Amino acid sequence: MKFLPLVLRHLRHNWLRTLSTVVAMAVCIFLFCTLETFVEATKYNLKSANDSRLVTRHNVSLVFPMPVSYRERIKSLPGVKRVSVSNWFGGKYKDDMKLFFPSFAVDGEEYLAMYPEYLLDDAARSAFFKDQRACIVGQETADRFGWKVGDSFQLESFIPRYRKESPFEFMIAGIYKTDTVRHPGTNGTIMIFHYKYLYEATSQKAQVGSFVTQIEDPAMAVTISRQIDELFENSDSATKTETEAAFRASFVSLGGNLALLLRSIGVAVTFTILLVTANTMSMAIRERRTEIGILKTLGFSDGRVLGIVLSESTLLGILGGTVGIVLAHNMIQVLPRLPFIGDAVRGFPRLGLSLPTAAFGFGTAVLLGFVAGLIPAFLSYRARITSLLRHV
Amino acid sequence: MATIEVENVRKVYHRDAEELVVLDGITVEVPDGDYVALMGPSGSGKTTLLNLIAGIDRPTSGTVTVAGTELTALSERDLAQWRSRNVGFIFQFYNLIPVLNAEENVALPLLLTNLSRSERKKRALMTLELVGLADRSNHFPRQLSGGQEQRVAIAQAIVTDPSVLLADEPTGDLDARSAEEILRLLETLNRDLKKTIVMVTHDPRAAQRARTQKHLEKGVLVS
Ligand SMILES: Nc1ncnc2c1ncn2[C@@H]1O[C@H](COP(=O)(O)OP(=O)(O)O)[C@@H](O)[C@H]1O
Ligand SMILES: [Mg+2]
Repeated sequence: MKFLPLVLRHLRHNWLRTLSTVVAMAVCIFLFCTLETFVEATKYNLKSANDSRLVTRHNVSLVFPMPVSYRERIKSLPGVKRVSVSNWFGGKYKDDMKLFFPSFAVDGEEYLAMYPEYLLDDAARSAFFKDQRACIVGQETADRFGWKVGDSFQLESFIPRYRKESPFEFMIAGIYKTDTVRHPGTNGTIMIFHYKYLYEATSQKAQVGSFVTQIEDPAMAVTISRQIDELFENSDSATKTETEAAFRASFVSLGGNLALLLRSIGVAVTFTILLVTANTMSMAIRERRTEIGILKTLGFSDGRVLGIVLSESTLLGILGGTVGIVLAHNMIQVLPRLPFIGDAVRGFPRLGLSLPTAAFGFGTAVLLGFVAGLIPAFLSYRARITSLLRHV
Repeated sequence: MATIEVENVRKVYHRDAEELVVLDGITVEVPDGDYVALMGPSGSGKTTLLNLIAGIDRPTSGTVTVAGTELTALSERDLAQWRSRNVGFIFQFYNLIPVLNAEENVALPLLLTNLSRSERKKRALMTLELVGLADRSNHFPRQLSGGQEQRVAIAQAIVTDPSVLLADEPTGDLDARSAEEILRLLETLNRDLKKTIVMVTHDPRAAQRARTQKHLEKGVLVS
C-alpha cells in the first residue's frame, strides 16, 4: 500500500497511455457485460416455460392467424385439459414505444387456470371474469405506472387488424404477483385481457395468433402436439404445435447462435486487449529500467519490484473494469429505447446488469490486468542492477 | 576491524569464448571513518569494484565484507535488505525517479522501514535541509539543476543513516561550482557524521579532498 503513490504517479504521468489502455479494457468489459445480460434475459424467459403447456400456431408463421373454431376442436382431443387463445396484442400505451409492455388477449378463465405462476386473489379473479373490459397486469408494470386496482387506461395496437377507430379501454381488475422461488423466470410485466373484447371490438374479425393447450400428462406432449397438427393438416391454416419451452426456444435460437458468435468475438477482443495491455506494461517497464535499477539499489527486493509492477497493471484492470461496468450499466438502461434492438429486448422481464455478470466482468478485467503484468513483472524481477543501470 | 574488507576479489566477464578479467585479485581494507578516493583510467574496473562493495554485484571469487557482514554469503533477498540499511549509493547520473518530487525521492528508502508516513516525511525534509535544499522539496528532478539533483541524491543516500557511502563519479557531470558543493558536503558527512566514504573519481583535485587515495589499473590496485 505504501508503494501505491508511486504506482499512481506513473499512471498519471503517462495519462494518455493509461487512458487508452483503460478505455480499451472498459470497452471490452462493457461489450461482455451487455452481451451477457442479453443472453441471460433470453434464458430467463425460457426458464418459465412449462412442459404441460403446448403452443399451437400457424405452420407458416406466427403472423398468420388461425380461425377461432380451432379452439373447440383442440379441446375435444383426449388428454387435453384446457385451451385458451393467446393473442399478442402489441398494445401501445400513450402511443409511446418507450412505455411498452407485453399485452395478450386470452380466454380469461382458462388462461389463468393454466398459469398458476400469476398469483392473484379470488376477488381479483371474479372481478376480472365479470367485466369484459377488465384486465390483469403484472406487479412490475403496475408499479411502473403507479396503477392500482380499479384504475383505467387505454391501449392501441400496432397490429393493423387489431386497430379500430378509438383505442381499447381497460379497467384493472387485479394485479398479479410472481413467486421467484416456486416459479422462477415468471414475467412480471405482462397484461392480459379478454379475447372476447378484442373479438367483438374488431367486429369478429380478430382471428387467433396462437392457442395454448394444457395437457393432463406432460409425457404425452409429443403425441398430443402431433394429434393437434393432424386435425388441421388439410385445412387452409395448417398448424404447428410444440411445447411452450420449444416455442420460446425457437424465438431465441437465433439469439442463441448470435450469442455464441458474439461470445467468440468477445473472447477474441479480450485476448487482443490482453496483448495491448501487456504491450503497454512492457513499454512502461522498458522506459523505467533505470528506475527499477534505483529501487533495487536502494534495497527494494526483487519480489517487491515484481509486486509494484503487478499492482500497476492490476490497477489498470481495476480501472478498466470499473469504467466498463458503469458503461454497461447505463447502456443496458438505454437499450430498450434504441430502434431495432429496443424492439428485441423490450419483452424481456428484468433486463438489467446482474450482480454475477458485473462481478464476472470486473473479475475478468482485473485478471486481464494482472496477467498482462506478469511478463514485465517477471522481467523486472529477474533483471540485475548492473545491467539495468549500465549506460552507453 | 575495518568497515570494508575486500579479499582477493576477482571479477571475470565472459564474452563469447573470451574471458575479460575486470578485477584481478583485489585486496583492500577501508578503516572505519575513512574517506577513500578511488582513481584510475576508464575501464579499469572502478565501478565494478564499487558495485561489489555496495552489494549490487557479486564477485566471481573472493569475499567482500562490509560493516561486519560478508556480502558474498548473503542471498539476493538478504542482500537487498542489507543494502537498504547499511549503504548509501550515489551515481554519476540518474539517482532520482522523475515522477517523484525531491522529498518523495529522498523518502523512497524509508518506504522499506516501519516508519509512519508523517515520520518518513519529517525525516526526508530534515535530510533535505541537511543538504541545503529544504526549499526545493516539492520540485521534480527536471526542475532542479545538476548540482541540486546530486544533493538530493546524497540526501536519499543518507536518509536511512547508513554507515557507508559509496559515490561513483558524483561530480563527473557537474560544473566546478556545483562539484565543489558536493565535495564539501561529502567532507562534512565524513568529518561530522563519521560516514565511511568511497568515492570513484577521475578528477585529481577531487581526489585530494579525500583522506586516502587509491589507484586502480587494469583490475589491479597499484597504490
Ligand atoms: N556486464 C558487463 N559485461 C561485460 N563487460 C563488462 C560488464 N560490465 C563492465 N564490463 C567491462 O568491465 C570493464 C570495467 O568496467 P567499469 O568497472 O565500469 O570501469 P570503470 O568504472 O573503471 O570505467 C570495462 O572494460 C567494461 O567494458
Ligand atoms: Mg565507471
